[in-house]
Amino acid sequence: MLRALVQVLLLAVVGGLVGVHVLLRRLAFVTEALQHTVFPGIVAAFLLGQSLLLGALAAAVSTVVLLVVTTRARRLDQDGVLALLAAAAFALGVVLVSRGRSFQHDLTVLLFGRILTVDDRQLVETAALALVCVVTLVALHKELVLLAFDETAAAALGYRPAVLAVVLNVLVALVVVAAIRSVGSVLVVAFVVTPAAAARSVTRSVGGAMVGAVAFSAVCGWIGLAASYELSVDHGLDLASGATVVAVMTLGFLAAVCVGAAARLVGRWRTASLLAS
Amino acid sequence: MGAVLDSLSQPFFRRALLEAVLVGVLAGIVGVHVLLRRLPFFVVAMSHATFPGVVLASILGTSLFLGGSAFGLLVVLALVVLGTQRAVDDTSLIGVLLAGSFALGILLQSARTGGSKELSAFLVGSVLTVTPADLVTTALVGVVLLLGLGLTHKELVLTAFDRGGAAATGYRLRLVDLGLLAAVTVAMVTTIPVVGTLLAVALLTVPALTARLWTDRIPPAMAIAAVVGAGSGVVGLALSATYDIAAGGAIALTTAAAFTASFVLTLPRSHRPRNTPLDSLDDLHGAPGTRGRGQSGV
Repeated sequence: MLRALVQVLLLAVVGGLVGVHVLLRRLAFVTEALQHTVFPGIVAAFLLGQSLLLGALAAAVSTVVLLVVTTRARRLDQDGVLALLAAAAFALGVVLVSRGRSFQHDLTVLLFGRILTVDDRQLVETAALALVCVVTLVALHKELVLLAFDETAAAALGYRPAVLAVVLNVLVALVVVAAIRSVGSVLVVAFVVTPAAAARSVTRSVGGAMVGAVAFSAVCGWIGLAASYELSVDHGLDLASGATVVAVMTLGFLAAVCVGAAARLVGRWRTASLLAS
Repeated sequence: MGAVLDSLSQPFFRRALLEAVLVGVLAGIVGVHVLLRRLPFFVVAMSHATFPGVVLASILGTSLFLGGSAFGLLVVLALVVLGTQRAVDDTSLIGVLLAGSFALGILLQSARTGGSKELSAFLVGSVLTVTPADLVTTALVGVVLLLGLGLTHKELVLTAFDRGGAAATGYRLRLVDLGLLAAVTVAMVTTIPVVGTLLAVALLTVPALTARLWTDRIPPAMAIAAVVGAGSGVVGLALSATYDIAAGGAIALTTAAAFTASFVLTLPRSHRPRNTPLDSLDDLHGAPGTRGRGQSGV
């Protein structure tokens, strides 16, 4: 239980930080596609008895490469290719699992993850991946923000937008790899997009959104884990813990949108009354 | 091949073949509209978002098709309402809603005891257990959807390419958009029995994407997409019978194989690198007077 909490907090930090950039560059679909393309890598590693981390990393890197190669063809837009990659990779994963012996059970575990069975080694791996992401983000913060808001200016100043875009995609891939074994291959996107979107609906500043996203994600993670634990121990209601965390996050997001809308209304009313007086 | 011929004598396998072909044709044609409007992410999102509806319907014992459609439309509504709050862009909003509703589906599913088998049937499909009633539903829904798309073809294409022009001509953009989103959602729910919620996106985008490689015009693209969709259904089922692998996965992989082959075969034609993200749309649009007129006729 303690390990699960540590894992969720680690994911909150890295997911929240990367998430703000994902939101700025509108990479939600890339995140969604990556979580599906990493799936067959994990399944293959699982069947071959290799490290799941290696399988996931290999799959994530090949996705980014394939994405860069195929979107160069002039008739294809990125959205279509992402859908294709996600669907094909996911199908490959399902076919691989269906060759194994305990299809239903394995599929469920791989899809939905098992945050309660996180072990020390997995924690260390998550911490390492998180460290890499955070260091890269801090080092490239200025460049990435500039690129998000004004690509032309960034190019004129001598930064390479294409390289930075690939770096960001790789960072997203690392977060997906870090999160996928504990949250499963379908819900990772929530850890990246939802906290950032919630923070974004109450604040406009990039730094504020990052702090807000991390805090939001950590609190929701804690509430979600505690709720699923309480319910399953005390009430015999066996709720999947990863899904509970994501459900809490979604409710939190809706609340944040309402708060943001209310704050804007109050602001408008104040301006109006100032103007009137 | 022997395994395939053996299976052909089984009525359930023949039903599965027919269902896969019907769904393949329907999804291929609807898929062209999905690509035209850049809706692939929407389709991915809906494929996750209909999931809780399907689980609820199975708990209540009502039609999975109804449950999925109803919940899907609910999420479309939430998307439209939340979209008016300008704080968060559409892409991120779709991401949030998709994960949220999928989590809800898992929660509902995990709250009932031992539904693991049904769960994976929803997720990856079970085309081999299709009943005659399912077949009739698919055929009816398909005919209605295709008729609707055919009758509104001109409006749909115009609003996809030239929103300003369409609005000036007096079309109600929101109405057309909502109608198409509803049509895509219904088409998606129909494909769920064949390939499952997670792979419906394969049938709704990949055949159309494959067709896009071969042609710039809409009616031929629809024809090619329909053939690729139906063909993938047949080949995928045959592969699944021969090698004993999950049918939904095999069908989706076949569409991907068709795309890869087309990508390699058409490489010589697409040597020019894209200039702008809108380039592909411009190509489809064509110069006024050359292709523009051909597109509007069905």
